[in-house]
Amino acid sequence: MSGTKPWLDTRLPALESFRAFFAAPVLPRERPYLATLPVLITGALIFQVLSGLVLSLFYNPADAYNSIQFIDRNINYGWLIHAFHETGTTMIFGAVFFSLFRALWLRSYKTPGEVLWFFSVAQFGLLLLVGYLGYVLADGTVSYWSLASTVSGAFGLSGFPGAIGVWFFGGADGAGTLARLVVFHAVLALAVFGILFLEYLARRGAEPKVTHGVGLHPYYTSQYFAAFVVFALIFAVLVFFAPHLGENPLNRGPADPLVLPVAVAPPWFLLPVGNVGHVFPGVWGTIFAVLARLAVLVALPWLDRSAPGKPAGFLHKLLLLVLALDVILLTVWAMQPPSLIGEVVAVLLTAYFFFHFLVLLPFFSALEAR
Amino acid sequence: MAETLGQSMAHGAAEASRRDFLKILNVAAGAVAVGAIAWPFIDALSPSRQAMSVVRPIVDVSGIAANTALRFVWLGTPIYIRKLTDKQIADNQFVVPDSLPDPASYTDRVKPGYETFVVVIGLNTGTPCELVGNDPADPRGPFDGWSCPCDGSVYDPLGRVRGGPAPKNLAIPRFTFLNDAQIQFG
Amino acid sequence: MRRLLIAALALAVLAAPHARAEDTLNPPRWQSEGVFGSYDIAALQRGFLVYQTVCAACHSASALHYRDLDGIGFSTEQIAALASGVKLASGPATLDDIFKNPYPDTTAAAAAFSGAIPPDLSTIVAARPGGTKYVYRLLTGYAAAPADMTLLPGHYYNTAFPGQQIAMPPPLKDGQVQYADGVTASAAQEASDVAAFLTWASDPNLDASKEIGLRAVLFLVFLSFVAIATKRKIWRESV
Repeated sequence: MSGTKPWLDTRLPALESFRAFFAAPVLPRERPYLATLPVLITGALIFQVLSGLVLSLFYNPADAYNSIQFIDRNINYGWLIHAFHETGTTMIFGAVFFSLFRALWLRSYKTPGEVLWFFSVAQFGLLLLVGYLGYVLADGTVSYWSLASTVSGAFGLSGFPGAIGVWFFGGADGAGTLARLVVFHAVLALAVFGILFLEYLARRGAEPKVTHGVGLHPYYTSQYFAAFVVFALIFAVLVFFAPHLGENPLNRGPADPLVLPVAVAPPWFLLPVGNVGHVFPGVWGTIFAVLARLAVLVALPWLDRSAPGKPAGFLHKLLLLVLALDVILLTVWAMQPPSLIGEVVAVLLTAYFFFHFLVLLPFFSALEAR
Repeated sequence: MAETLGQSMAHGAAEASRRDFLKILNVAAGAVAVGAIAWPFIDALSPSRQAMSVVRPIVDVSGIAANTALRFVWLGTPIYIRKLTDKQIADNQFVVPDSLPDPASYTDRVKPGYETFVVVIGLNTGTPCELVGNDPADPRGPFDGWSCPCDGSVYDPLGRVRGGPAPKNLAIPRFTFLNDAQIQFG
Repeated sequence: MRRLLIAALALAVLAAPHARAEDTLNPPRWQSEGVFGSYDIAALQRGFLVYQTVCAACHSASALHYRDLDGIGFSTEQIAALASGVKLASGPATLDDIFKNPYPDTTAAAAAFSGAIPPDLSTIVAARPGGTKYVYRLLTGYAAAPADMTLLPGHYYNTAFPGQQIAMPPPLKDGQVQYADGVTASAAQEASDVAAFLTWASDPNLDASKEIGLRAVLFLVFLSFVAIATKRKIWRESV
């Protein structure tokens, strides 16, 4: 066996750097379990790709709903692969939201973490798009009407954005649209891996240099494995006992062009970002609202005027908890049927969201810096 | 001193074996988990029940009357399942194979234990055409088997070619008798 | 309502030797509910009988094939016999046929019901908020309309249906089917059983999911202890 290593090494020199990557003592001597989140998200995405691959073998965009019923009822373990893919979405967005909140809590977007933060927000935005496309592909009642309103909105836009919208959907909603959205869903999901890699590169720049560190193997491989197992445990509880968590039950019924459901809500993970259709009216309102939220997040390193390297104070953390409560309330409110008081509350909560980032945060962080 | 040093060394060795056991258990249990998770993915690619019923269909042959044939389409191909009469068996059982255009004996054409059933693909081996002769009233040719309406080839009840331009006997599909009443193809 | 109760009581008394183990009607509950619940096969079979006798006359269930009925405990011969009794346009149904759609297309269905097409029942329990209980309440929720409400022509008052006016006439009556296992076929029992069957139709793999899930969760709990302990041991030995 001792002869094998040099034999492979001379023919595949990259093996040397591969081994060095796992052994190099460049990692800190202590890192909390929560820091494994980016790797967990990557692993969960790989799992999504695998389950999505198996589903795509049987999915038929020309008869989407029935093909999914066929998967659930006739393919061996089809129901389980489908549940993996659905619950995987819930787990990934749960982890991503938690990860973003943790970055806000630890202020890891401050110098030198701006590029890392930007890639995190970009990854979040891309995942939202991938998730929305996946939701639409299910072709249930709510998915169908959500797509119908999005396509008619896109076709109703004028100018360059309208051209993009028309180009993206390529026609009225129907079999042809779903066929191309399947491909977009898969390609954009793979693009997320590219952003994950860029994030990894940025993270290496953002973390302080470590002297006398420990190697990836076995210290962090064991930590990642333990974190994965706990993540898998939560995933298993959801996938086997509550596979349709957060899904609108109406969406499990077939789409009927002649029946308009009372409320057409997007999937739960879009609610914190996209639940502002009533607040900012019209198609432009929705586009503006989503982009504004993402833009405010991207601008965060410059909105936060505290000194870099200082841990967050009590006031900052309190404000963050209020912000989290605000977002959760907005999400819950978006699930309720529309009502007048609901609109008023939504406007107030949305206003507070922007108020936090554009007014409270700069003011109080500048105070803290002094 | 020596006692405690020995004790601590023994303790260290015990610690080491406990660590190794834990690591081995960790890796082994992890491998079991990975295998258990991978299984549904692998099995999902296996043919579903419906696919198997199409690829490996089961046909009930108990209702076939003697001297008639059941026409059954398997993946687009017509299959004839014929039940032979005693006279047909007697006429064809001892024909010398070498005297035939495509030599084949009686035992080549039927399954042991189920010699009254002939299962053939109902397509002419000459000019491509579907044969006639499943019903006793159909034109069966001089050998009481099947005949081809396209080029005039005639076959005997065992599906062996007896006359006409067709060069080979009727093809026999892959099948097994599950019991006296059921045939499974594939 | 009173007469219904008396009739039901009388039937219950008459059927006492075959009485069921426990009363699942007051309050209505189903064995499949809850984290460890599994389908009550007897209820599923009774529910299928009600479905075939009453519901299948107007409703389709196009995601179900007859061969799927082995999931409620019927043997292949029983299903084949059952299916051959169903007349499709192409002849008697076989195992691989989809549950018969009483109408050849939606236009014919709309014509027969003045536009109120009976929904497909394959996923009805999953696709309605409230699920099994909603279906049960709908089937048992027919009542006389309150004085201040004017019913649309061809509609009936139902307490559970959104808007309280449903185009489906009350489908279930006492004694409409004869249960093979001797359970009294009151309207409420029929409703409970057909709700159980439709729950199974929406989610045939629920039992398998819970069974596999229990084993998976227990194993992962064990594995998480092992993994965390391994990580700690590895760190303690050198850091």
